[in-house]
Amino acid sequence: MSTDKNSNPVLHIPKIEEGFVFDHIPAGLGPRVLELLRSYPELAEAVVTVGLNYRSGKLGSKDMLKIEVTDLPESLIRLISLVGPGITIKKISGFEVVRKLGLELPDAIDNLARCRNPNCVTNTERHVAARFERSGKAASYRCLFCERVFDLKELELLLP
Amino acid sequence: MKRDLISLNDLSLETIQGYLELAARVESMPAEERRRLLAGRILAVLFYEPSTRTRLSFESAMFRLGGNVLGFSETGSTSVAKGESLADTIRTVEQYADIIVIRHPKEGTARLSAASCSIPVINAGDGTNQHPSQTLLDLYTIRKLFGRIQGLRIAFVGDLKYSRTVHSLLQALGKFGNATFRFVSPESLRMPSYLRDGLAGSGCTFTETVDLGSALAECDLVYMTRIQKERFPDILEYEKVKNAYCIDARLLRGVPERLRIMHPLPRVNEIAPDVDPTVHAAYFPQVGYGVTMRQAILLDLLGVKQ
Repeated sequence: MSTDKNSNPVLHIPKIEEGFVFDHIPAGLGPRVLELLRSYPELAEAVVTVGLNYRSGKLGSKDMLKIEVTDLPESLIRLISLVGPGITIKKISGFEVVRKLGLELPDAIDNLARCRNPNCVTNTERHVAARFERSGKAASYRCLFCERVFDLKELELLLP
Repeated sequence: MKRDLISLNDLSLETIQGYLELAARVESMPAEERRRLLAGRILAVLFYEPSTRTRLSFESAMFRLGGNVLGFSETGSTSVAKGESLADTIRTVEQYADIIVIRHPKEGTARLSAASCSIPVINAGDGTNQHPSQTLLDLYTIRKLFGRIQGLRIAFVGDLKYSRTVHSLLQALGKFGNATFRFVSPESLRMPSYLRDGLAGSGCTFTETVDLGSALAECDLVYMTRIQKERFPDILEYEKVKNAYCIDARLLRGVPERLRIMHPLPRVNEIAPDVDPTVHAAYFPQVGYGVTMRQAILLDLLGVKQ
């Protein structure tokens, strides 16, 4: 069956009455977003539906994820913006989209990732949160403490 | 709001020039007058790893301004040995002193220290990251030697891959622009590409060579470095390059009189003692300018207006 929403009104993922839709997830990244969701104990019992490899005009193919909860943790949204800038989060209420948020790479990463430099003070002192600021290059971030610059992909995210 | 000196990356060209101007004013001031400037103030010197020059230079600077000094130069006899966190040590020392200078083997320590207290913090070296007072004193030395910083032909020689001092000075000179650099090193110790690339748009140019002789003949300034044994994972690699560059009086025969040689010290074999009495040797005056620049830093961060 076609999954093109214009040619076929029946999607594999059912509509949800209340919750959030993660749309425009680049194909293949859906499981990673699910993994981030699953790391939050408060979301452990929420109903989650995942769809993979939908055709998408914008991306070619995309994944999609729906979760039936009333709120999302702020830090989860910030984590997802790191793994999938470009993802759209839609808040659903009464089966309607009531708010849309397009995720972008943040200018700063605060206490969400570990510095890769083993000699950085954030890895050697207790209770010191690593902080990064966007460096000149596209997805590079500079550690505010040791000043090393890392590609975003090199950073290990801190899950709750 | 308090200010700190943590990284050259935090300093604008104007701020750097401000330090150079202040150092010049400090140098021209009568010693008697200088000794009153920081009377009653206390500098805490927290050295978590060995250093001779930097620690004594800061202490000398504080004493010359009439201030007092306390601190430690190894951590064996402190609460650090009992597992005290850096932040707790800093918050404690904050109660004893008006300003802190810290050297630590871990990168980012000075930044964390500054964030942990409300008094100024000076970074005297955090691992392989930054040592901003060294760069400022190097710039001041260059200005003293040549009367200017721009328009010079400067050779960096030796360990250009690992030398924090060289990296930092090169970046600072890049902010001034209009310099011609020559990077002289063995192939295995070349200047990292991010630093070479970082000069794009600065108005500076560079060439790379393994030949020290041409640099001595054609440059205004040679900045020598020690090849640091501790940086080599493979000792055989160190043995291959440890004596790659050595300047002695014989090698200096016939070089232009204008040539000056700087070195952050300590030296091992890279500058022979017979260079010391020549007109070219600038590394001991450089040490002296270090005390002047550190006086300027202390005065500036403590808000003592000149």
